[in-house]
Amino acid sequence: MKRKSLGFYFRIYRKILAQDLKSKMSYRADFIISTIGMIFTNIAGFVSFWILFQNFPSINGWGYYEMLFLYGFSLVSLTPVQCFFDNNWALRNQVYSGDFIKYCFRPINMFFYFQSEVFDIKGLGQFAFGLGTLIYSWNKLGLEFSPLMLLKMIVFLITASLIMIALQNAAAATCFWIQNSFFVLDLVTKFKDYARYPITIFSPVFRFIFTFVIPIAFIAYYPSLVVLRPDEVPILSWISPIVALVFFFLSYKLWMRGAMKYNGTGA
Amino acid sequence: MNIKRCLTLTRAGIIESLQFRLGALVVVAGNLLYLVVIYHLWQAIFASVGTETVNGMTFTDTLIYLVLATALFNFMEMYVVWEMGHAIQTGEITIQLLKPMKYRSYMFWSYSGTAVTQFFFTFLPTFIIVAIVTNGAIPLGLNLLFFVISVMLAISINYSIDFLTGTICLYTESTWGINIMKQVIVLLMSGATIPLAFFPEPLKTIVNYLPFQSIYNAPLSVLLDGNPEPAKLLTTLGIQLFWCVVMNIASRLFWKLSLKRITVNGG
Repeated sequence: MKRKSLGFYFRIYRKILAQDLKSKMSYRADFIISTIGMIFTNIAGFVSFWILFQNFPSINGWGYYEMLFLYGFSLVSLTPVQCFFDNNWALRNQVYSGDFIKYCFRPINMFFYFQSEVFDIKGLGQFAFGLGTLIYSWNKLGLEFSPLMLLKMIVFLITASLIMIALQNAAAATCFWIQNSFFVLDLVTKFKDYARYPITIFSPVFRFIFTFVIPIAFIAYYPSLVVLRPDEVPILSWISPIVALVFFFLSYKLWMRGAMKYNGTGA
Repeated sequence: MNIKRCLTLTRAGIIESLQFRLGALVVVAGNLLYLVVIYHLWQAIFASVGTETVNGMTFTDTLIYLVLATALFNFMEMYVVWEMGHAIQTGEITIQLLKPMKYRSYMFWSYSGTAVTQFFFTFLPTFIIVAIVTNGAIPLGLNLLFFVISVMLAISINYSIDFLTGTICLYTESTWGINIMKQVIVLLMSGATIPLAFFPEPLKTIVNYLPFQSIYNAPLSVLLDGNPEPAKLLTTLGIQLFWCVVMNIASRLFWKLSLKRITVNGG
């Protein structure tokens, strides 16, 4: 297959996206209710922190606003996976029913085409809430604000996003081998809830596991340290963008490998 | 009502859910991972206070409470709202309404099979592991019997709330948003995310007057209390029974009223 340019993919993405949004707009009530539901979940996370810190002044040296910063960071970094990769949830059904075969016959990258079909608007509600939390705690903590800091922030937010995307891709791709990947996806989705706690609360064994085996700590903890505690940034934080790229690449390869061996079901 | 008819549905449900044995394994693994996270998080929390008990709960109590709440959630969550929403959107509901059985009981009994298998394959293993890990912190006596009674009441209340929420889908034709809102409210208000004992004052009183605490808080506090005062035990179960009846009637009435409005697309 001839390689297509990035511009080509960008144009195609816009076209597919427009179709998806048009069909979504016919269910306006659903869109509004879903967005409210999404914000509900985020508020619940906020409230549970508030309740915890009503009882306890700090957790392992982490104060209320620092924890909120971590929470806001994880919410913002989860937006891309929510908005652009939501079709992963439908993968198992399409593989099961045989609909997936249609992606095998298009002259564009399968992974790209599959993911571009759905844009999940309700992720934007989460983005707004996360950004608000982030700015609020940034203010309260009195962290310095400079263009360089902002740049760092953006780079490390993208890092965190890539890790989460990689985890979800890999989880969704398991359905090429085990049919029902819902439980795996559900499990990985729960990881993002664990990501909002600082890794230092764990014992060394689990600190190792959550860093190198199941890289939960890279979803929020390591990347956010760069901004949150600029004086004591561990080496793992600096290399996290590379880790993210590697993980994303591996998950993409796994996904494609599964898709390539797919041979359809039924007639 | 014909009990044989109901048990046939249960049996069918058991057979159906046994197809997904791997799923149960992933769920138990997920529970164990949650146990690890919760263990470290609350250990750090209790360490930062320095006292044995906070709000009348020890570290082990909190641990058992939270992990078993998740285990209970796994086996009580019947995805009723999800199924109802799907049935309404696809029009499948018309066929189910024609069945020689009330829709409400039909749904309940078709899901009872899944609940039975989930109980044996996810709840029981988690329970046993927690009992061993916490070294006999769960009192094993008459309270187990009351726990079972309490859980049964909880299942009924939970189902009524689910059915009520599912009925709302008749009006909104939106499922995801409604379901996530219900889930968030139930999990937070029932003490499944943070034990109710930790809630600050005005909130605690409000939550105690709501039906949600009867779903997780009631059975779990019955389980953790080795030798309860009869009066306290009776109040807990009495309140549960009260909500069981109220929610049952409410969900039936709402369904009856809403059924007149049903619109089914296509045909």
